[in-house]
Amino acid sequence: MIAMIALSLIALCVVSAGLFAVRSTNLVHSVLWLAVSLAGTSALYLMVGASFLSAIQIILYTGGVITLMLFGVMLTDRNETTKIGNPSERKRLGAVSALAVFALIASAVSSMSFTGGGSTIVHTKAIGQALLTEHLLAFEALSILLLAAMLAAIVVARRRDP
Amino acid sequence: MSAAAASGSSLAASLPAPLSDILAHPVGHGVIIGGIVMTFFMMVSAWSIWFERRFAGRMQSRVGPNMVGPAGLFQPLADAIKMMRKEMLTPSGADKVLFWMAPPLTLFFTLATLATIPLSEDLLIADLDIGLLWVLAFSGLMLFPTWIAGWSSNNKYALFAAMRAVAQGISYEVPLLLSAIVPVVAVGSFSIADIVRFQGEHGWLLFWPVGPGALGFVIFFVASLAEANRIPFDIPEAESELVAGVTVEYSAMMWGLFPMTEYVHTLIASALASALFLGGWYGPFGWAPGLHWMLGKTLFLFFVIFWARWSLVRFRADQLMRLCWLWLVPLSLLAVCGAALWVAFSGGAA
Repeated sequence: MIAMIALSLIALCVVSAGLFAVRSTNLVHSVLWLAVSLAGTSALYLMVGASFLSAIQIILYTGGVITLMLFGVMLTDRNETTKIGNPSERKRLGAVSALAVFALIASAVSSMSFTGGGSTIVHTKAIGQALLTEHLLAFEALSILLLAAMLAAIVVARRRDP
Repeated sequence: MSAAAASGSSLAASLPAPLSDILAHPVGHGVIIGGIVMTFFMMVSAWSIWFERRFAGRMQSRVGPNMVGPAGLFQPLADAIKMMRKEMLTPSGADKVLFWMAPPLTLFFTLATLATIPLSEDLLIADLDIGLLWVLAFSGLMLFPTWIAGWSSNNKYALFAAMRAVAQGISYEVPLLLSAIVPVVAVGSFSIADIVRFQGEHGWLLFWPVGPGALGFVIFFVASLAEANRIPFDIPEAESELVAGVTVEYSAMMWGLFPMTEYVHTLIASALASALFLGGWYGPFGWAPGLHWMLGKTLFLFFVIFWARWSLVRFRADQLMRLCWLWLVPLSLLAVCGAALWVAFSGGAA
């Protein structure tokens, strides 16, 4: 019961932080709300026993991606350039795409079978072994994708030879 | 909490009835052991400031603080009382909520890393399955309060300092994570207590025959100095160029939280390095395990950090980046490969 209430409270935090991230007219506040939302997702993972996923979520998303975003908005002046408008002329298009994404996720969730209950703890070692044996191909494909992205970034950012 | 397990069983068993019951319960265990460990780290950090000032005085042929109490021992108390009685000012152009949020957040993230660092078999708040990842996650989050403080102050020096801090932080995060992988590869567990126990059986990782342990230790130590913004890596608060870095606009105890956190962070980094590479609470050759070994090693590394601070000069920002990306990152990759090979050819410890 207590776990259920805590889970709902965290979920509420995640959703409202996401809403603030979208609605804020201050660029920096948007990024920081997004960080709160991602950290809250990590707390959700922790609550359902996926502790490894939760730590990775913090390290990669909050600690990595958001930090890079902060880097991007870093040179904004506090009073003027961080103000952003929230253009709302494409409300219908936005609503349609939001509903489509919701339908996709809902159908994916409803087609899964949840057995085992909320008390199963997946050990980190088991995840590592599964990644490097059963899902080795997907793992390597992902690493090649990341390598390609990195190389592309270097090529784009490289100083042109005279 | 998922994998939290009360580990103080032997301690709990040795105590009288009501206390042992409280300690056996996960919440009671967390509160009591957490309280002891946090108080210890805060106290040691406070008096390490006195020690550092005395030590720096010795190195520079002067006396250092010696007036308040015997040999100046009450100086940290006097400083704390002074700071608490000052007025806390907020700059008119500041983003007020973020400005006030930054100092408590920095202390919170630092103290949160303590949860999985074992001081001894009993003094461990939570033996998580993801112990090391927990510490690394929260030390990665440490960049946020620094950045928030620098940006919300609406001060160009503070913003510059925040920019340098983030650049330095995300760069040194890479060798820090990679070198922390070395003990994980060797032991086959993310739990710091497991890593220490492994070293109790197989000897300290620092003294491995082939040397990835020693290499990993050096890189980890250097990278954690950079993460804690200690000289020679204190570019974010280079007082000769940036006045006082991100803390320019802060006053009173709001300012005081920053240096205090820096000392706690440095002490935690020393404790983590001792646990990961120097065998934690085990002595050399595994004899006489106990709290004294862990404290001795931690305080020695802490002392080495002071020693470096008063001996070395500060890097330039570009030298800092060159050291990280051209030396530390490749060397830490080498250390990880070495550890993997060692495990593969010695039959695998995992």
